Amino acid sequence: MFNRAEVVDQNFSRFVREGHLPPARSATGLFDSGLKPAEFMDLFESQMMSRHLDLIARIFKNKNLCYYTIGSSGHEGNAAYGKVFRLSDMAFLHYRSGAFMIQRSKQLEGSTPLFDMMLSFFASTEEPIAGGRHKVFGSLPLLVPPQTSTIASHLPKAVGAALSVQRAHALGIDAVMPPDAVVSCSFGDASANHSTAVGAINMASWCSYQNLPLPLIFVCEDNGIGISVQTPGNWIENSFGNRPGIKYIQADGLNLFDAYRKAQEASDYARTRRRPVFFHVNTVRLMGHAGSDMENTYRSFSQIEAVEFNDPLLHSARLAVEHGIATQAQILDMYESVREQVRAVSESAMRRPQLSRAEDVRATVTACATPRTSPPPPSLDERKAAIGTSDWEKAKTPLHMAKLINLGLHDILLRYKNTVIFGEDVAQKGGVYNVTDGLFKKFGPKRVFNSLLDEQSIIGTGIGMAHNGFVPIPEIQFLAYVHNAEDQIRGEAATLAFFSQGQFTNPMVLRVAGLAYQKGFGGHFHNDNSLAVFRDIPGIVIAVPSNGLDAVKMMRRCVREAHENGRVVVFIEPIALYMTRDLNQEGDKLWCFDYPTDLDEEIALGEFGIYRSYDESLEKSRPADLTILTYGNGTYYSRQATTELVNKYGQNVKVLDLRWLSEVQSAKIAEEIGQSKHVLVVEECRKTGSFSEFLVSAIVEEFGRKSQPLPKIKVVAADDCFIPLGKASAAGLPKKEEILAGALELLGLELASKTQATSSSKAEGANA
Amino acid sequence: MSLKKRIVVIAPGRGSYTKETLGYLNPHREKIADFLTDIDSRRQARGEPTITELDQATTFSPAIHTKGENASTLIYACSYADFQSIDREKYEIVAVTGNSMGWYLALAFGGALNWTGAFDIINTMGSMMKEKIIGGQVIYPIVNGDWVKSPEQITIVENAIREARAQGGEVYPSIHLGGYAVIGGDAKGLKVLMALLPKIENYPFQLVNHAAFHTPLLKSTSEKAFELLPPSLFQTPSLPLIDGRGKIWQPYATDLDALYRYTLDTQVVDTYDFTKAITVGLKEFAPDHLVLLGPGNSLGGSIGQILVENKWNGISNKAEFSARQKSDPFLLSLGLI
Repeated sequence: MFNRAEVVDQNFSRFVREGHLPPARSATGLFDSGLKPAEFMDLFESQMMSRHLDLIARIFKNKNLCYYTIGSSGHEGNAAYGKVFRLSDMAFLHYRSGAFMIQRSKQLEGSTPLFDMMLSFFASTEEPIAGGRHKVFGSLPLLVPPQTSTIASHLPKAVGAALSVQRAHALGIDAVMPPDAVVSCSFGDASANHSTAVGAINMASWCSYQNLPLPLIFVCEDNGIGISVQTPGNWIENSFGNRPGIKYIQADGLNLFDAYRKAQEASDYARTRRRPVFFHVNTVRLMGHAGSDMENTYRSFSQIEAVEFNDPLLHSARLAVEHGIATQAQILDMYESVREQVRAVSESAMRRPQLSRAEDVRATVTACATPRTSPPPPSLDERKAAIGTSDWEKAKTPLHMAKLINLGLHDILLRYKNTVIFGEDVAQKGGVYNVTDGLFKKFGPKRVFNSLLDEQSIIGTGIGMAHNGFVPIPEIQFLAYVHNAEDQIRGEAATLAFFSQGQFTNPMVLRVAGLAYQKGFGGHFHNDNSLAVFRDIPGIVIAVPSNGLDAVKMMRRCVREAHENGRVVVFIEPIALYMTRDLNQEGDKLWCFDYPTDLDEEIALGEFGIYRSYDESLEKSRPADLTILTYGNGTYYSRQATTELVNKYGQNVKVLDLRWLSEVQSAKIAEEIGQSKHVLVVEECRKTGSFSEFLVSAIVEEFGRKSQPLPKIKVVAADDCFIPLGKASAAGLPKKEEILAGALELLGLELASKTQATSSSKAEGANA
Repeated sequence: MSLKKRIVVIAPGRGSYTKETLGYLNPHREKIADFLTDIDSRRQARGEPTITELDQATTFSPAIHTKGENASTLIYACSYADFQSIDREKYEIVAVTGNSMGWYLALAFGGALNWTGAFDIINTMGSMMKEKIIGGQVIYPIVNGDWVKSPEQITIVENAIREARAQGGEVYPSIHLGGYAVIGGDAKGLKVLMALLPKIENYPFQLVNHAAFHTPLLKSTSEKAFELLPPSLFQTPSLPLIDGRGKIWQPYATDLDALYRYTLDTQVVDTYDFTKAITVGLKEFAPDHLVLLGPGNSLGGSIGQILVENKWNGISNKAEFSARQKSDPFLLSLGLI
């Protein structure tokens, strides 16, 4: 018989009736557990509810009415810590947490866990957390942020959330969790091998080892198998049983008394010592990995039966009978009564509305259910004191981008008390490019701190801290390092608002030093020039300033968007422009700018910059001969090329510095191109998959929509290659010469000889 | 799968016995003769008018019939008669709940109180204000004419509570009663509320002979209840109960000590959320019907408003509720039958 769900169901009734119950695997009894008999029965009821939800999900799946069958069967012992962990202890759950969730719901009177879970099975819009977008365990009132959990990608953020508990209160910020909270995260034995899990556990160890408070419980529910792959014997305890700074506690997940007692021990330890615990709970997995998984293809019949006999519900029945808490008949009565309750609830939930329209689905991509307002700007005296007299004076003179961002970060840390800056080398050293110079000294180690060298952990820390009221500003030292951690943005941060209808958000500004053109410091890993990894992620803001003035104003807007609307922001800082002072010739200082001291000076999302080589009033009588669309380093080199195009070729050139690679206002861009007959797209990233592809299609679409004649378009982009070392480091990248050549080709002009050059000064200062 | 209809039974509160329900027990008298004999003799022993006398009085006297020490047990008897009349072959009671004083009745009908306990608790809790009533209750709608929640009216109520407190009054949300806010408070506070809340039909009005139930003003009542009523009156319920927070007390998983404390303390001094109790009943038990016990049908509107709030069975306003009640009633009000 291959419908193991039916077998497990029938076995329970038959074995309980016959008193044929599995022998104990641990000795903890009622008295040792500290549970009252009624409390035990309450846990047992949660186990039964979880089981019946699994069983009915399989039935509805066969009728194509239910969309998710990864169940909790075998793991129902987690009801024990659903009771132990407090409602104020944030819990990041994996997908076998049905009983945990039901039991936790019971801590909050008026909760309706059966109805809510059934709504999630049927993808109903009324499902309270995801509104039918996923079957996830999540709830705002129960403090369970939703996530998929399939690749343990929720562990790094659990570490971040735990790290934030003490810090939030020390800094006096408006925190979600109380100071004595403990964070928990659950995962399976197979998931413990994911780099996310290994990295998160390593980070917890790293923090605890140096006495940083980290009240966190890693709950590893070990059922011994990952889909069809057996976990080697004792792998979990031998791998995680002796990590520095992490307390290891093992529990029998088939014995509610033992699971409860050990969970209490784990909770007490993490709560009082403020140190992480690895809570290893032995469970079994019943009914296969999911509804579609046929266990008989990789497990023998006798193995399957042996596992099924260790059903935690049968163990609970044994405990109830052995301790005189309930009779066999009472247990069966409760089991059938729960079955009937779940059936009735399922029929009622099935009638509730379901998601169908695309606009309803995407409505929550950037949702924020509880927007905040920004704090008022600090006074001038406060700012002077924070920035320091000498820097304040310096701010009155034109400065390069690195220094301007640095000053901008001072103001941000001063204004937003819930911001923190962290990453590799950002503290005492002030970052590898001095962008965070002095911040550690001025704002202290609680707000500016070095991370360990693991990008997954850095971003995870940011996400987790954001869950507790912070607006983290983590730094990724080089763009290429993001790829090590991209799923933390893609799979976690970016999806949170979507899967929670904005009830949970990840306000965060991820600073990434990146892109190419570095002189004297080459190689792909420090000059990566691809942003494609961010471009397709729904809902995130992508900022790429081309100069220090824009960078400051854009950064201010980014932090505001994160703080007020919970947005996830990726802020790309072009490394090669950090220290760039001059544009056309040495000493012209045209790429240095005054610090914008008025804190209201911001650049709105999607707002692009316009440079005209001619007076704007001439626009109507003579549209630009050439419009260049670009961003970042591309803007810088396009401006150099523009100088030549104006001076040597007498062209009217307009440069649109797009600044934002998200929130793109295609219609406005098309409007700005206007009557210009030539459009050059300058793309510093690898051509394939680059922003230029979108831009060209957007222009074509916009002009087509308005039935306007399409301008001639050319793309000058970086080669589809990696960046080499040495003299050739910028060889395949668009620079002044390549842009000029592209523009001339587009304009149908010949390259002029050097002697034809006229004064370059004409182009300067014509910035509109 | 049972062929019986699943029902959640709702016991009414203190205001349910009115002049219209005088003589309510008449048609039931024979069927509950033993019960009536028992409670009448218990009341006689306490020197209180019997339930039979009260129900058979020729005229309804608010001064007598609405007094706590009379109304509570009188309502208990009427509800008991209705509860007994439920055809258990046809209907399966999947949960029992109640409003305010109805919680004591729910405990009794759900089997959580022994025979003596049911009488003692209902009669004793109803008699707590024999000498002097502590504070009172004001009722005010927070829905519009279609029974749809009105954020404006909710704000008006919140502001009035704030103002009453600012003027030195003690006022608290007492009952979340579907489309009504019931606010409990002292005389000073209630006076401010009555003055501030804009008139809508008969609202606001103060409930006759009602104390500031479910507010901290009743702390002394709670303390006295612990002195008078021992935990031994409680027993394991035989039916699931839903309390005034929406918590479910399951027969096999009820901690009697916790139930005792909730009943004599928590719900006495803290807001009674009838809306949540019904919502939990609907969602977690998915009944085929809600059954409201008599006397009368004074909770019918509130229950309808809760159905509207949850868009239950597609009911999204008062008219739809009324239409459904006429064609295929979801709410069965035994007090009307």
